[in-house]
Amino acid sequence: MIPQPRAPELLRGFENAAFESNAVFRTILDAMAHPGRIYDLPLDVPAPTGLNKSATAFLLAMADMDTTIWLSPDCASNAANAHLKFHCGSPITGTSSAADFAVARLDGDLAFITDLALGNAEYPDQSATLILQVEDISDKADMILRGPGIKESQNLSVPGLPAAFHTWRAENHHLFPCGVDVIFAADRKIAALPRTTRIEVR
Amino acid sequence: MEQTVNNPLEASSAYNFAYLDEQTKRMIRRALLKAVAIPGYQVPFAGREMPMPYGWGTGGVQVTAAVIGPDDTLKVIDQGADDTTNAVSIRQFFAKTANVATTEKTAEASIIQTRHRIPEKELREDQILVYQVPIPEPLRFLEPRETETRKMHALEEYGLMHVKLYEDISRHGHIATTYAYPVMVDDRYVMDPSPTPKFDNPKMDMMAALQLFGAGREKRIYALPPYTKVKSLDFEDHPFEVQSWKDECGMCGATDSYLDEVILDDKGNRMFVCSDTDYCSERQDAGHRGPQHHDQPLGTSHSNGKAAE
Repeated sequence: MIPQPRAPELLRGFENAAFESNAVFRTILDAMAHPGRIYDLPLDVPAPTGLNKSATAFLLAMADMDTTIWLSPDCASNAANAHLKFHCGSPITGTSSAADFAVARLDGDLAFITDLALGNAEYPDQSATLILQVEDISDKADMILRGPGIKESQNLSVPGLPAAFHTWRAENHHLFPCGVDVIFAADRKIAALPRTTRIEVR
Repeated sequence: MEQTVNNPLEASSAYNFAYLDEQTKRMIRRALLKAVAIPGYQVPFAGREMPMPYGWGTGGVQVTAAVIGPDDTLKVIDQGADDTTNAVSIRQFFAKTANVATTEKTAEASIIQTRHRIPEKELREDQILVYQVPIPEPLRFLEPRETETRKMHALEEYGLMHVKLYEDISRHGHIATTYAYPVMVDDRYVMDPSPTPKFDNPKMDMMAALQLFGAGREKRIYALPPYTKVKSLDFEDHPFEVQSWKDECGMCGATDSYLDEVILDDKGNRMFVCSDTDYCSERQDAGHRGPQHHDQPLGTSHSNGKAAE
């Protein structure tokens, strides 16, 4: 009997794990070090249904068997689950509070964000990172960012960002050093919003 | 003077790119992102054994290995010098395991790994400074228990550090701490800037380059994002001051750089010379001359000053 491959449509991950994960990491590191600055995804990766290219590249570069991933219901396709399990080997959880990396779509239900792990006062690093898939990011002055990593101020616009996000983010910022770091992942562009950044909403 | 070297393809393929395996690099990279998100906070990481002893920069090497890519140009300094054993061997390590270009020129480097100096030349946004850190915990010599120092950081309980600086004043009349001088990062965390001379502390404040700190034995990573407020602790009546010298550099005549004292003989003669070798040779190439430069006439001046606080 010829065994049938169980996931015939499995997409490829990185072609060269060492160089490509390094390139993606450096982009994320730059983005994190310069909050709100928009960076192009340095390479092309195929993305499974439910995830865009930036979110896929982020997870391929950063996630492995030591990190738990939570996918929001509108991201959690079979293809996405199979892709992450095969290429990252990450446990995938149904409980958002258990996530190291939480992936969601901006146009989906964002009620889960208040459940994400914040870390604690002694170990604020034990917090979740939220990868929010968005349609677009631009440097229109909808938000004016200030804080570490920003020389004076940085403009950022994420169309469709609801007021509830800003309310949560303001509370989140207040909890510093605890808090969730956010990555805005448009298909080929990313920008980061670490917990230190102060946002002035226009 | 060594220029940027594109190292030939003699890299040993028995090792993964930049020595560490991919999973280890991911673990370090995750710690680095948290460190950047929480400036000055020490993130624990699963430090690996490196093919060099603790104290030789195993933390900095692991951070560099996680960050470096094939297009980077690496500079390594040890007390400002590119040509000491530690700096040369770390540079060769990455030339061999990552096949990256190496340089001694500050301006040409994209990653600079340092043991206890910050280059005199102002760093740019596209550069990363990686520090090798022996003891990452600024409160460690005041409180040996990690559980307690964690709590002190959590509660911003830094009174003890001020008491230590105050005891300096009561004993010596001034703050006698000259290296590993504690800093306050973004008004929240007290951080050990690694044992750099306090001369370099002001350069950390609002620096354009990203600063990453790796402590290999203590297994901690911390970071300063660009343009972050870094303030050296002090008192209103005893403000923070850096070292200054009455002398100039004997080789290049610089008066604005950190000077090392070199004993010349047993008759009390000495000279001062820039600790940053690249800065010094760049100035010499531009025609600057100090009194003890070998193309200066002999016996013109004998520098005999003292390092003044």
